[in-house]
Amino acid sequence: MHAKKLSLPLALLMAAALVIVLFPVFWIVMTAIKPPTDWNASPAIWMPPHPTFINFLTLFDPDAIRAYGVGGVSQSATKAVFGSILASVIATALSVAIGLISAIGISRYGNGSRATPLIILSGRMFPPAAIAVPFVIIFSNVGLTDSYAGLIAIYAAVTLPFSTWMLKSFVDDLPREIEEAAMIDGRSRLMAHLTVTIPLIRGGLFATTMFIFILNWSEFMFALVLSYSNISTIPVQLAKYVTATAGTLYGVQAALAVLAIVPLVIVGYLIQSHLARGMTFGAIKQ
Amino acid sequence: MHDLSTIEVTDAAPAVATSPRGASRKGIGISAMARFLTLPGQIVSVLVLVVPLLVALYMSFTDWSPTRGSLFDAQFVGFENYSELLIWDTRFVYAVIRTVLISVVCLSLEFVFGLGLAVLFLREFRGKSILFSAFLTPMMILPVVVGYTFWMLFQANGPINQIIELLVGPQGAPEWFRSAPFAVTAVVVTEVWHWTPLFFLILLSGLNSVPENPVRAAVILGASPRQVFWCVILPMLKPVIIVAFVIRSMEIIKLFDEVFMLTRGGPGSATETISLYIYKLAFSDFQLAYGAAAAFIVLLGSLLLIHLLLTPVRDQLLETNR
Repeated sequence: MHAKKLSLPLALLMAAALVIVLFPVFWIVMTAIKPPTDWNASPAIWMPPHPTFINFLTLFDPDAIRAYGVGGVSQSATKAVFGSILASVIATALSVAIGLISAIGISRYGNGSRATPLIILSGRMFPPAAIAVPFVIIFSNVGLTDSYAGLIAIYAAVTLPFSTWMLKSFVDDLPREIEEAAMIDGRSRLMAHLTVTIPLIRGGLFATTMFIFILNWSEFMFALVLSYSNISTIPVQLAKYVTATAGTLYGVQAALAVLAIVPLVIVGYLIQSHLARGMTFGAIKQ
Repeated sequence: MHDLSTIEVTDAAPAVATSPRGASRKGIGISAMARFLTLPGQIVSVLVLVVPLLVALYMSFTDWSPTRGSLFDAQFVGFENYSELLIWDTRFVYAVIRTVLISVVCLSLEFVFGLGLAVLFLREFRGKSILFSAFLTPMMILPVVVGYTFWMLFQANGPINQIIELLVGPQGAPEWFRSAPFAVTAVVVTEVWHWTPLFFLILLSGLNSVPENPVRAAVILGASPRQVFWCVILPMLKPVIIVAFVIRSMEIIKLFDEVFMLTRGGPGSATETISLYIYKLAFSDFQLAYGAAAAFIVLLGSLLLIHLLLTPVRDQLLETNR
């Protein structure tokens, strides 16, 4: 395939779009390496002349910033980072494991595949603020409020439709004949799935796992209403910083935001060719 | 890694597992297998989706709030919450109208920009794959961070106002979060920036799978590139376009994270979306039953909307989604 240059007007259009797309990312990274004096300078400083990592240090050692004469960071973000990793990883593993079993069931044995999409869709459409209300009540009765177990259960369940339908689309792509050949060789159905189906869709399994991780890592509202003091996640901590200081801790907040973005962008680029499939419940295959 | 190791462990098992069954290599019957495989997912869905939904539904017919003790002691009030919301609660009605208007504006802009970009990416040029990744970046960033980032960009002394001052002078730079129209604009800009890549991605994969023969035929028959695009390619793209709109409407109806970080619904309630209003009802005013009723009205409305949207392409979707 011959790579050509774009015509000048198109190239300019593309460049403008690229600047618009990347500018907010540039800004948050720049803010994260600004020393406190540059945080909210007027006019705003685009590139800090004296970049520093003090904001990142402050996330884990709240007193570090005092060297610059800034108080007010009362909480370290260590718990939030730990909480985000713990909740996202375990919930992702659960969601993908259950999703994989269901995906094979639905794809190969066609159980309820007509009605299920609508039920799943209506689950996705229900405003999370309202579904959080019964959770708060139920959880407070069984002692799961403010616990990682509760948060993980919700995350796994909420992402289950995504993992099921994304994995189902990968199983659908696999010809049944391959499994049937294994069964003729004397393996049971279950063994055929374990030794043939699952290894053959491992690429899809990886993409799905990463996609579910993105969803869990990004979740905000359930964590917001179900965490008080025992648990925290990065999005909740970011909101807390903003509320507690009316947003004036620009640099520290930006550092936390950058920390939150990095794993997502890496994972996102890794599975970019499967993003459309994940987002559309497998309706769009690329 | 993890899945590979489990597979190796089980790989040793078939000899043991199949021999007792002997000739009946089907092992477990098909219907038992179907039940066995779909059971875990169904249990989780029932526990974590259906049960809370039913609790919320019951609650929406009561006057319960946490100060009144157990949910079982709550007074049953029939459709009172619903009629109150739809007839008297102007704040709710405005939140619904506002969310719908913001959604329509955002989705239209996202569609136009996404389609434009996708068309640009149909041709081959140097650096295409790097640019493709770069254009997907926004949708990989978590909503809370997007909201916070744009909150910084839209500060009175922030970079966006600096650019505006450079272009039209200092009187042109607004205080974005102090006036209703500007605050709404900020929300729309944020949302469009965040989710245009999804339209781009879906539409590009749709465009790439448009069959070549009808396009070639149209070209041979003398159609101009514009005619080919509007009369041949776009109609074939319709199912994909509708999928994109359905997925995005489902998400934008719930718009919360970005607005929470940007404006908290302010100034006043100028940017208060449905989700934000329900959140405030439930978690600042503790009117949980009332909030649940609001949520069910929204659910019914969006189900109806999505049903209408999906009707023209249902058969095609069921075909791919079997």
